[in-house]
Amino acid sequence: MIDLDLILRILIFPGFTFILLLTLFCDWVERKLEARLQNRVGPMVAGPGGILQPLADFIKLLTKEDIEPRDAKKTVFKFAPLVAFTIMVFAICFLPIDGASVLSTTGFNGDLIVILTFSTIASFLLFLSGWASCNPYGTIGSARVLTQFLGYDIPLFMLALTPAFVAGSLSIFVIASSQTIPYILLAPWAFVLFIIAMQAELEKGPFDVPDAESEVVGGLETEYTGAKLAFLHLTRDVQIVFGAALVVELFLGGPYGPVFFGLPAFWYSLWFVLKLLAIVIVAEYVTTLFARLRIDQVLSANWRIILPAAILSLMLTVAMVTWVYPLV
Amino acid sequence: MRRQNQTSNNNIDIIKVIETKLKDKVQIQLGQLGKAAIVTINGLHRDVLKAMVEADEKTAITAITGLDLGPSLGVLYHIRTSNAFLTIRAEVPKDNPKIQTVIDIIPGAIFHELEVADLLGVVFEGNQLVGHFVLSEYWPEGVYPLRKDVKANEIKLNPPPTEEKKQLEYGKVVKIIIGPQHPALLEPEKFAVTVDGETVTKVEPRIGYVHRGIEKAAESRTYLQDVYLVERICGICNTIHACNFVEGVEKILKTEVPPRAKYLRVIALELNRLHSHLLTLGHAGLEIGYETLFQYFWRDREPIMDLIELTSGNRVYSSLMTVGGVRRDLKDTDLPKIKTTLEDLRKKLPFYRQIYENEPSIKARMKKVGVLKREDALKLCVVGPVARGSGVDIDVRKDEPYEAYGEIPFKEIVYTEGDTWARMNVRMDEVEESINIVEYAIDHLPTGPFRGKAPRVVPAGEAVNRVEAPRGELFCYIKSNGTASPERVKVRTPTYANIPAFLKTAIGENIADIPPNFVSLDPCFSCTDR
Repeated sequence: MIDLDLILRILIFPGFTFILLLTLFCDWVERKLEARLQNRVGPMVAGPGGILQPLADFIKLLTKEDIEPRDAKKTVFKFAPLVAFTIMVFAICFLPIDGASVLSTTGFNGDLIVILTFSTIASFLLFLSGWASCNPYGTIGSARVLTQFLGYDIPLFMLALTPAFVAGSLSIFVIASSQTIPYILLAPWAFVLFIIAMQAELEKGPFDVPDAESEVVGGLETEYTGAKLAFLHLTRDVQIVFGAALVVELFLGGPYGPVFFGLPAFWYSLWFVLKLLAIVIVAEYVTTLFARLRIDQVLSANWRIILPAAILSLMLTVAMVTWVYPLV
Repeated sequence: MRRQNQTSNNNIDIIKVIETKLKDKVQIQLGQLGKAAIVTINGLHRDVLKAMVEADEKTAITAITGLDLGPSLGVLYHIRTSNAFLTIRAEVPKDNPKIQTVIDIIPGAIFHELEVADLLGVVFEGNQLVGHFVLSEYWPEGVYPLRKDVKANEIKLNPPPTEEKKQLEYGKVVKIIIGPQHPALLEPEKFAVTVDGETVTKVEPRIGYVHRGIEKAAESRTYLQDVYLVERICGICNTIHACNFVEGVEKILKTEVPPRAKYLRVIALELNRLHSHLLTLGHAGLEIGYETLFQYFWRDREPIMDLIELTSGNRVYSSLMTVGGVRRDLKDTDLPKIKTTLEDLRKKLPFYRQIYENEPSIKARMKKVGVLKREDALKLCVVGPVARGSGVDIDVRKDEPYEAYGEIPFKEIVYTEGDTWARMNVRMDEVEESINIVEYAIDHLPTGPFRGKAPRVVPAGEAVNRVEAPRGELFCYIKSNGTASPERVKVRTPTYANIPAFLKTAIGENIADIPPNFVSLDPCFSCTDR
């Protein structure tokens, strides 16, 4: 028996189409915000306020000629961007968006670990895609991706455990729904560190070393054209949405908020998108504010500052959970 | 660390030094080609140069000019010392054009020698030219474009080699090609960078991608046409190129420029410097991934472009200079406009200075990057903000004031760190000095004609001229044979002199340090290639 409701949930809302549109919308918000912060106007032509520009760019890239370098490792070169994109969308499907996750379940205990692993796999696939293109710029860009995400994955995992400790569960649904007081207030130190680690994990400024165009041209994207490039770009954007959504689930109480009238699902989706936008705006603001760091500076910042701070944060959280929060 | 108001305490009389050391061997022609021209034969140029370097640590090669003198080739070494500018003349026969190199005495001469070798076929023993340096790779052997006997329509380029399928090389060392098309360079030039991991181990330059043969083209045009031709050497600092050429011609003509024209020229030159510095300061932001800084600087550069349009009628190529003065007067009603615009810019400067001096990510990317020590700066003969960032106080506006610069008070900015940060901060401070200069010039603008009457016929003769372009000392040599067009025009642009500094400082640093290091030279390749 095919469940029509489930198919609609997966394909339309809150599944694939919704995630895709949300991604494009977040891309537009980022571009517009960055432009306004830099005294520019940003996208203007496609749609009101240029809101359709990311979609237009995507479609334009799909229509472009698809070139494969002679020396590239064809299979990996072809499929890595597509698989990475799929995995990222799949990871978002585990997050409660309209009160429940896409599969209409409350998840299972441990899905936090699963989706963090998904994001690591996606980063690794991006690395592979650049590596397989057999281009010096792509190779160096890929090597930078690898060094950067391997380093920042560790503190990111540790910091993601902080809300899990407070909630006493590794299920995202439980973590999000148990936040009567958002964890941003209970563990602000973990929130700040998580945002920084996330920024580095998503390769956004000032940690956008792997695609520093003045150094390595396009980074791992150098040899990509047409549809494959479109999917690489889309993967990056979905990664950003995923990162922001993860912050929302872990620290801002997920989609849950006051329900005024009508369907709770509507209000939950609204709260989710608004909270997501807030995080995207904060992240973009940080990006515009700084110059790009050098790869050795990025790495030493990780091993010398972020990682010890993450360990301290975890210890602090355990102490708070044991002795302080029961009093509140 | 910023040093100010320091005085050059060098009172070395370089002519006397040469006279005592090499009394009867060389002939000194006072007052020619700078302070003096020293005629040398049989490789004595090395001894003269050695004597000068021993006497004065700031001795540096500004340029080497090659001349076709009929049966022989002339090689002119233009030397600047701490307080003088002079020329060493040498000659080599055309059938055996060999001369000893001077790169062991002054390492900074290397590019100058290679250019003369490529364009005139002088063989510098010890600094052998392999292939071509500025000319195309397909340029035929044995054809030297700046010799007079070359016929342009008979030159046949070699066919490009057939492409071979290259084997992939596996290993730890990767060769990254920066240029001719690369986002870090806005103009075409190639630097093959060998990296070990992320560390640069070797940089091989290949310039000449936009070599337009302007020096040769100038020989077939009239002097007046040449003013606009040399202006097109560079789009950014076009005014100073025209001014440099015009001053050289005026030296041969021995005409005086009316005082008002001198001030008008200074205003045009400083506006040009302002927009050039703002451009670089913003561009540096782009190179280190600081797009916000780039957008801000370029926004504030726009009013300056408007001022250039207001004063010269053109936004980019001002075409303001002409022999004997300027082509266009400034209206009195325009003066307050210029002053208010500059005042607006001055109000914004403290914010920008704060960013360049203290912003943590800028400091992380620029401090201790591309450090050029003072000794190396002297040896490599770097010029302009690159030299001033390394504690070498050379500024032609101070050392050998031209136009009205002798009458206008301004500070010479010198930083001692020698890194990218210092070079950018030199420019940051010079923006303010330029505003001061323009304001002073407007307040003290003399009345009178803005153009003198220059003679129509240029007599036979030769002249050298130096000016301070936004990127550093700009040099030109003009030789006239009494006809309507010059016999030889040589321009040495500041970027050409500064590239050796980049090649030296990039070694051992990170790949990510290349863009900020490079942009701190304010490279302009259409200048470099001419």
